[in-house]
Amino acid sequence: MAESKFPNIDDPETAPFWKGTAEGKLLVQACTKCGYLRWPPGPMCNECLSTETTWKEISPTGTLWSYAVYHRAMNPKFKDQIPYTVALVELDEGPRMYGRLVGKPAKVEPGMPVRGVFQEVEPGVMFVNWEIKA
Amino acid sequence: MTLAKTAIIGIGATEQGEIPGQSADFLAARAAAKAIEDAGIDKSQIDGLITCKPPMSPAKVGTDENIGQMLGMNPAFASTLEYGPGAFSLHLADAAISAGLAHTVLVTYGTNLRSAGASFGGGTRDWLTLAGLVHIAGPAAMAARRHMHLYGTTEEQLGWVSVAQREWAQNNPIAVFREPMSIADYLASPYVVEPLRRPDLTMISDGGAAVIVTTAERAKDFKKPPVYVQAIAQQSAMRSDQNADKLMRPWIKDIGDRVYKQAGLGPKDMDLVYMQDATSVWVLQMLEWYGFCGIGEAGPFLAEGHTRPGGSLPVNTNGGQLSECYMWNWMHLYEAVRQLRKECGPRQIAKSEVALYAQTHDFYKGAASILSTHAG
Repeated sequence: MAESKFPNIDDPETAPFWKGTAEGKLLVQACTKCGYLRWPPGPMCNECLSTETTWKEISPTGTLWSYAVYHRAMNPKFKDQIPYTVALVELDEGPRMYGRLVGKPAKVEPGMPVRGVFQEVEPGVMFVNWEIKA
Repeated sequence: MTLAKTAIIGIGATEQGEIPGQSADFLAARAAAKAIEDAGIDKSQIDGLITCKPPMSPAKVGTDENIGQMLGMNPAFASTLEYGPGAFSLHLADAAISAGLAHTVLVTYGTNLRSAGASFGGGTRDWLTLAGLVHIAGPAAMAARRHMHLYGTTEEQLGWVSVAQREWAQNNPIAVFREPMSIADYLASPYVVEPLRRPDLTMISDGGAAVIVTTAERAKDFKKPPVYVQAIAQQSAMRSDQNADKLMRPWIKDIGDRVYKQAGLGPKDMDLVYMQDATSVWVLQMLEWYGFCGIGEAGPFLAEGHTRPGGSLPVNTNGGQLSECYMWNWMHLYEAVRQLRKECGPRQIAKSEVALYAQTHDFYKGAASILSTHAG
């Protein structure tokens, strides 16, 4: 079976996220029953197993949990981008997300506060990357 | 110690490294034939077969059907593991025997990943690829960075994982990487994904490995001294991204607590330690979670040389996946059995009666076994 296109911004399961990023907003799924905020998206609450879900806008702010600096392109797709840095961010409202750490910060250290920046990562696809809060 | 239910009576391995022109199934079958010879068993006495599918391979590779047919066997019990590193395959054999599905199980694995040109760089979970987090080196680097941040661990301290394993590999004729590597050489090698360097990351290689497991009662009837499976434990950690501190794998401590309790032993009783090392960071973490040093203390522990030849805690005496070969933890098992049978020549550990054999997947699934020369 052929892999489906990713990201498919029209996929009903993730379309609200992409609609949000296009408008500079961060939306994640929120369980209607227990309120658990989940990322990445899925059809069922990982906590209470409810399938009733809404999308909720949350603050694109959090803490840098850790980061990794790619000096070699481990996938040819990123050959022209090295060196680049990937961040793991713990959002203030709970979920954890991976994205690029962008900007030219003087110092990077886990625990630093970060904010989301909405950037085009593929033609027509806006994603949330991260920068160290000044 | 509790009384072991099962024991390993035979082991086999092909050459390791680059083996062009041989299929994964053929390599698994060749290793199986060697294990049969090692045990001095007739294949008609084997009533169970466990195979496992190599990572990043087509669906029909590594199945019990393929390999059972090649070996001309009609085992009562046969099964294929989708995720079957040595530790999980051994556990399934132990469970099948304990449940009475079979009394003697051949467990085998083969891979031609290197010759097939496989790479870890492709994204399978696309949210990660979108972020550029490709290859296991990425999350491993994040875990290392976090450890450095929390505990002050240095790159040099981490470097002792691969330097010590290279020292061990120098006395292992099977090992692919045997050239000397000092800590200065390590620090001089360029970053791949900072703070990790090439020596921190597993190679990709071809090979086959197999073990034969039987009941503790039957085990004494074969050619080689039995290596008893004293205790086994697993933790799946399937919540994955929903687990806080996923990349630190704190749930491994739970495996250690249970496997030690089941054996009635503790970390101080382990003469030898085998830890699957997709990256050096796995060893750094497992040294702590399995209680060989305090949480956050693996850096100084490594730099003190405990895991090196002559040190107080021999770790991955085959060189591990960083220096010997990439066999999904199978060759760690092969080495553990050989050390316990005192077959390791210049790298043989004098006191080798009890070994911890531990494995973990990228950031979920872990398994540990305590292997012993004593039945109980």
